[in-house]
Amino acid sequence: MVQMAIELRNVRKERRNKTIGPLTLNLPQGYITALVGQNGSGKSTLLHMLLQLTNPEEGEIHWFENKHESGLPLELRQAIAYVPEISLTEENHWTTMDAARFRSHWYPLWDNAYLEELLTKFEVPRNLTLGRMSKGERRKFEIAAALAACPSLLLLDEPSSGLDPFAWKMMIEMLTRYMDKSNATIIMSTHNVEEVRRLADYIVLMHQGQVLGMAEKDSLFGLWSEVWIHANDEEELADLAAELPGSVHFAMETPGVASFITQQFQQIEERIHSLGVKVIKSRSLELDEILSLWTQGHRPILIDQMRGV
Amino acid sequence: MWIPIQINENSAEPLYHQIETQLRSLIISGVITEGTLLPSIREFSADLKCSVITVRRVYQDLENEGLLRTRQGTGTFVSHVGDGAMEGYKQDAVRKALESAVEVAQSVQCSFDELQQIFQEIVERKYKGLE
Repeated sequence: MVQMAIELRNVRKERRNKTIGPLTLNLPQGYITALVGQNGSGKSTLLHMLLQLTNPEEGEIHWFENKHESGLPLELRQAIAYVPEISLTEENHWTTMDAARFRSHWYPLWDNAYLEELLTKFEVPRNLTLGRMSKGERRKFEIAAALAACPSLLLLDEPSSGLDPFAWKMMIEMLTRYMDKSNATIIMSTHNVEEVRRLADYIVLMHQGQVLGMAEKDSLFGLWSEVWIHANDEEELADLAAELPGSVHFAMETPGVASFITQQFQQIEERIHSLGVKVIKSRSLELDEILSLWTQGHRPILIDQMRGV
Repeated sequence: MWIPIQINENSAEPLYHQIETQLRSLIISGVITEGTLLPSIREFSADLKCSVITVRRVYQDLENEGLLRTRQGTGTFVSHVGDGAMEGYKQDAVRKALESAVEVAQSVQCSFDELQQIFQEIVERKYKGLE
């Protein structure tokens, strides 16, 4: 039985112009969970609530199976590291080393040698103040400093924004390696599908303040297909569409050729053949296409959603 | 170390099964030799762009088959492959390849005699001079 790093039960947060929640979620310990969703879907608010930077109006949050309504205890705070979406201005006038010294004071497991290794790899300037760094340089410092704290829970809010492709690749390797040597949990919001593909074990899809669902990443693999078939006209296509509930986006491509999108194509392929329709070609949808269909309300049929948990 | 596994995104075969089948044949065919330390579960999952849950399942299955063994704290190693396994694998791999070739022939309405003739030609050409 896998322990939960974070549990949310009917958590609701009122924002000025919208409501986040009610959110119910279980995020397992030892895994990387990616929070995916459009701007304003509530990802950052969720991360803020996990740090008690803001508190929900309703519902309960549990950290490692305990709720802390009167504030997160020191030992727990010392086990959490956070890379915010927007850097904190408080550190603007400090150099890399000043900021590292200040942070190290708060984290008992702080590893200076590890920080040095990461900063060197990232080529972060040591004597510049953080406020004078480029966005990418500063981001690199913050990722390195978050890892140097050796957290059990690492919260990352769009960690790769501002990183060049080389630094991005290094970040993926650093996070992978950190997960290898610790039994940490990472919860990260991201817009980068490639990042989800390389790092995530679980995906939480958010939309307009709601959680649309949570899936083990690989359970989405090959789930949806785009299929091209022979069809003479719209009418013939409409007849086929009526026979295939659950399939969407039926369209004539060129005279004689139509396409549509369907889940579990292998299971309905025979049915399509028996209707006398000839399949020309099919391809599996990419992760970003699957997520965008899901956002539009086409839920994936997940056979073993919580496999392994 | 880098393990040459290629995932086919358009295949109906589940991800864990693709990885397991390919890793098994790399071990049985001797491409990855006995005693080799495999990548950690997290590292391998990042390479293959799948979740650690999938890689853990593959390692566990192959460990149950006796092809891998895990030493606590060090990692997962390739164990000794019996000669019987090698023979079984050879038969299996050839059969599978021929079966899909025959399916291609059927899909283009190739007749029984035609197919046999093509097969004979290819075998003769490839094996000529090897005797």
